[in-house]
Order: sequence, then C-alpha cells, then structure tokens
Amino acid sequence: MTAKADSFIVDGKLALPYQYFAGRTGSRFLIQLRDQKKIQGLRCQTCDKVFVPPRSTCVSCGAKIADHWVEVKNTGTITGHTVIRYEEPHQPVKPPYILALIKLDGADTPLAHIVKGIPLTKVRTGQRVQAVFAKKTTSSILDIDHFRPLEEKPKIELGYSYEALEVGMSASFTKTISETDVYLFAGISGDFNPMHLNEEFAKLTPFGTRIAHGALPQSLIAPVLGMKLPGLGTVIPEITVRFRKPTYFGDTITAIGEVAEKIDARKWVRMELRWLNQKGELVAEGSCLAIPPVPLG
Amino acid sequence: MARKVAICAVAQTTYARNKWDQRFQGMALEVLEKLREQIDIKFSRHRREVKGIDMSINVSDDVFDARTISDNAMTDVLGAHFGCAEKVAQEGIQAIYYGLAAIASGHCNQVLIIGHCKESQGQSRNMVTHVAFDPFFTRPVGLDFCAAAGLQAQAYAQKSGLNDTQLAKIVVAARQHAAQNPCITELEPLTAEAVMASDMLADPIRKLHAYPVSDGAVGLVLAAEEIARRITKTPVWITGTGNCMDSFFLGDRDLTANFALKQAAQRAYRRAGISDPKSAFDVVELSDQYAYQQPLWAEGLGLCAEGDGARWIDDDGPTRQRVNVSGGMLAGNPLILGGLVRAAEAALQLRAEAGARQVADARTALAHGVMGAAGQFHSVLTLQRD
Repeated sequence: MTAKADSFIVDGKLALPYQYFAGRTGSRFLIQLRDQKKIQGLRCQTCDKVFVPPRSTCVSCGAKIADHWVEVKNTGTITGHTVIRYEEPHQPVKPPYILALIKLDGADTPLAHIVKGIPLTKVRTGQRVQAVFAKKTTSSILDIDHFRPLEEKPKIELGYSYEALEVGMSASFTKTISETDVYLFAGISGDFNPMHLNEEFAKLTPFGTRIAHGALPQSLIAPVLGMKLPGLGTVIPEITVRFRKPTYFGDTITAIGEVAEKIDARKWVRMELRWLNQKGELVAEGSCLAIPPVPLG
Repeated sequence: MARKVAICAVAQTTYARNKWDQRFQGMALEVLEKLREQIDIKFSRHRREVKGIDMSINVSDDVFDARTISDNAMTDVLGAHFGCAEKVAQEGIQAIYYGLAAIASGHCNQVLIIGHCKESQGQSRNMVTHVAFDPFFTRPVGLDFCAAAGLQAQAYAQKSGLNDTQLAKIVVAARQHAAQNPCITELEPLTAEAVMASDMLADPIRKLHAYPVSDGAVGLVLAAEEIARRITKTPVWITGTGNCMDSFFLGDRDLTANFALKQAAQRAYRRAGISDPKSAFDVVELSDQYAYQQPLWAEGLGLCAEGDGARWIDDDGPTRQRVNVSGGMLAGNPLILGGLVRAAEAALQLRAEAGARQVADARTALAHGVMGAAGQFHSVLTLQRD
C-alpha cells in the first residue's frame, strides 16, 4: 500500500484493561485447579454427563447441576486435533504446535488444549495424554500448562505361572568362562585366592592350573530361573549345589533347570539343576525351590 | 396472516484486500447510490404519511471497526438520522431476518440494510475472532476461528475421507467462478498443484483453503408485498428463514454433525414448504470460509446425502447444483458479511442481474450464513421469484 501525500492514516490500538467475573461455577473450578491441581467437572445426573469446563446448567436438558461436582482425572484421550502453523500474538506457545480436544477420564465433554511431546505429524485421535500443571499460576485453564503423552507402565511379560508349569519343562543358558570373568568375579566376591589368579601357585595344586570360582558357573543358573523358567517374577528361596568337576579357563558351561515336582500346597516347584561343560561332563548338580511369578501389584 | 416480504434492490462494492483509501461511510454510500439507481429511496419521516424506508439496519462489528457502537457513525449514509436505526453485529444475513420480522409483523414497510467491513484495518482477522472466546477456558489456549476450523476440518476429513485433492478442486472452482464475478477483482485463477503446494495454516487447512481477507460493503432493500410490486419488476420473495445457535464450547459439540445447520435448514424449509432440498434450488450460495466447509455444509443443508460430502465433490455436485457460482466466500467477503453477500448474490441470480455468472432461468435459491467458532451459528434463507 502506498499512502498518497494528501491521505492521512492514523495508527491506533485498542487496549482495554478489564476485569471479568468467572462466575461461581467457573471460580470454583479455577481455584481448585490453581490451589489443589485438581480438575473438576459438573455432572448432570439426568443425562449422566460430566461437563468440563463446568457449567451450572446442563447443556442437554437444562437442569441445574451446580452442586454436583465430581473430580475428573488429569489423564485423557485426544478426540480431535490440528497443528497450528500460523503465528498470532494471542497464541500461548510459538507455532507450530498441536492444538487438541482432550476428553479427560471421567468427563464427557472434551477440552481444547495444547499438546507437547508428540511429533506434529504423529498426533492421532485416541492417543492417551496427561496434564502437565504449570509451575506458575495464571488463574486460567493454563494452570494446566499443556498435555503430554501418557507414560504407560512398561509392559512386562511375566514368566510361567504355577498353573502353566509342567514337570519335565526345561531351559538352559550357556556361556564361555574367560580369564576376565574370573578376575571380575574375584573382585565382586573378594575371593582373591591364588588358585584362581596365580598360575604358578595353581601349578602346585591338584588341578595343575588355575580354575574358576565354583560359584561362577553356579551363578549361570540365575538367568535360567529368573528370566526363562519359570521366568520374570520368579523368587528362589532355596538352592543347593554339589560341585563335581572344576571349571577351567575357556570352558563353555551350560546351566540347565528342569521342573521336577509341583508342590500344590505352596504353589511352588522343585527344580533339578545341572551344569555341563563343553565335553558333556557334569560340572555340578543340585536342586532349588522356585516360587513362580504371580501378577505384579 | 403475516405479510409477504421481497428483496427489491441489491448492490455491492468490489471486495478487495485493502481499501485503505476508503472509509466505511464511503463504501456504504457507494452501495446506497447503486440502490437508488434501482429504486426510488425515500425516508419516511420526511413525509406526513408513512412512505419509504422506515427502518435502517447497519451490519458492522465493533472490533473490526475499532470503535464501539460501530453503527453510530453510519447514520447519515443509512438514512437513519432521526429515524429508526438497528444494527446487526453477528452475521449480516441476520439483518434480513430482522427486516423480515419488522415487515411481516406490520411494524415497518420498507427496510434498508447496508453492511460494511474493512478486515484490512486490524493487524489480523484471527486476533478479532480470538476475542470471541471466553477469557478463562478457551482464549488462554490461543483459540481463534481459524484454529477452531482446523479442529473441525481434521475431524471432518477423518470422518468423510475428504482429501487434499478434493479440497484443491473446491478452491480451483471458486477461483474460476470468481473470474466471472466483477465484484472480485484481485484473485487470480489457481491450479490444483498450486493449492496443494500452499503452506498449512491449521492441518489440514492450507493457506489457499482459507477465505482471503477483504474490505467491502453490500446492501439490500426489503419491502412488503404491495410496495414491492410497485417499486420493482423483479421482487425476490423470502419464502423461508431459519437459524440455530449451537453450544459455545467446541467439546460440547460433534464438530462434524452439523447439528445447528440442520436445525436452521429444517426451520427454513418447513416455512418454505420444501421437502427435497437436493432439487429445490436453482442456485445455492453457501458460506464456505474454508474449503472443507463446502461439502460439510452441503451435507447439513441436505444438498447431498449425509456422509457423502467428499464424493459429492468428486461427482461435481457443486457444478450440477450451481453452488457458489459467485465464487463463494472463498473468493473473499468479510467474515461478518458472508451470509449477507450470499443472499445478495442469490437475489441477483433470481433478478437475472448476475451478468457473466448468471444461471439461466433461476427461479429458486438458497443463501446460507455462518458465524462463531467451527459453525456455532447457522442461518438459512430460501428465496423465489415470480
């Protein structure tokens, strides 16, 4: 635009400080949000509908509902969304950002709010989100600063339950025992016995060379019981081992567990344990009691 | 029995991006002078007996005009000095409802309506629509009508399957129609590729899917039947009107259900005795502020089957049913004048004064207006010539 020399254009700005009463219903909602970090809605008992933001009168049937406060969750589901890419002074965050309609758990009317922590093109209806409360209050809906993806508890696949275990089921774990393993185990256990660490000393022993600590191959049964059979969630209250042969550096040890007995009275199992080396020789044998996993609390 | 009411004269300025060198009054005066070329306009209070215009309605908005009581600077142009002055600040097509009610009830005989707006005056149209929201729950998260439209467009695309190609087709058609409309002077034809390459505003709304910012004015004269037959050879009869206001909060509504539009349409159709809107109209002017709204509103008006909007675009429904041959709002009218311009365009068609965009033998028409976030408020007007 090119203003002509004889044309006068005045620049102006409408700016009016004002006060605006939130109403009794709105006030209660905003005060609860500010002071308690709790989100409340009003419920119409006739329509069985919870309104957030709260309304003193049911939108559907017109009933007075101002006394029927209910607390809703700070988690919810995205029911609609867009990505705001144009910039305006009234926006609370710099574009681009996700604007979404979020139905809080326990509410029936979705609330418009900002979502962060989801890539712009990945936002979908049905996504679960949770409110992030603002550090500083503005006494408005921005006391919820934004919503972010709900962190679901990591899904854990538990091992076999007592009911799922059968006598004869077995599992194993195999590992080659190196010099490094033996040195680390010496450090972990504090067992610096020269028969494990000093070759010249070891030559004088009945084994004629260094051998691994007995508990080192024994410990290889832990990944079998705790991660395979019965698996995650298992507790081992008792384990007994008889050592039959030494484990030399470089030996490959296979630890095997097998369900031998189901103890119905306690819902425990007894398992037979065996350790074999690469030649198939029995290195150790024993047994344990295992408490199979029960659903986590 | 209520009196019949007709639109007896129609005039508008051009709609341009920035009429910096025109005042509201100047634009309105241009409209008034064009109306006077069509009919003899006199103001009743100058005569002992009641004749001529006895109610003037201004359509304007305080925030867009940057002055409250935005009609009070317009009284001279509206002939409202010492007279009966009304104002509509919502959406201009309501002024026709007001005027209709005043005449049908016998309170008035002739009503002058002039609407004006200079959207270019404010820093941004979105800043104006932002203050339509409440200061506690919706304004703080930055809502404005464009943002609300983004939420509605996404929901409708998800539900109907409306895609970027169909949206581009709507815009291309609007630009082609606009080329035939002498009131639209600045819009160039567009290719679908250009539309699909334009930036996103609020996904899936692209910049070229949005109605352009514009300045302009529009006016009509309404009259009771006996006067209408005397002052014009081509009266356009108002056969039905209806409107409906939906819930304010976006979350209270199903944004794709067209609840308020269906109510408004049913109210108008019932009054007009229309049972099959698909075949009832020779011309349809609907307020498509954003491209996605053309098929969505078409569903709500019953121009196509429920849920069929996207296919209706593919099947050239708008061409067959002569929807927005003016270019529609996508060709650019100020927000608050959208429905009023639709009514003016529909009346021009029925008066056979639409020039290059004239639909042959148009006898019946529908005009639609919308206001509020994501179609909170809809108005439907049905028109017919002798």
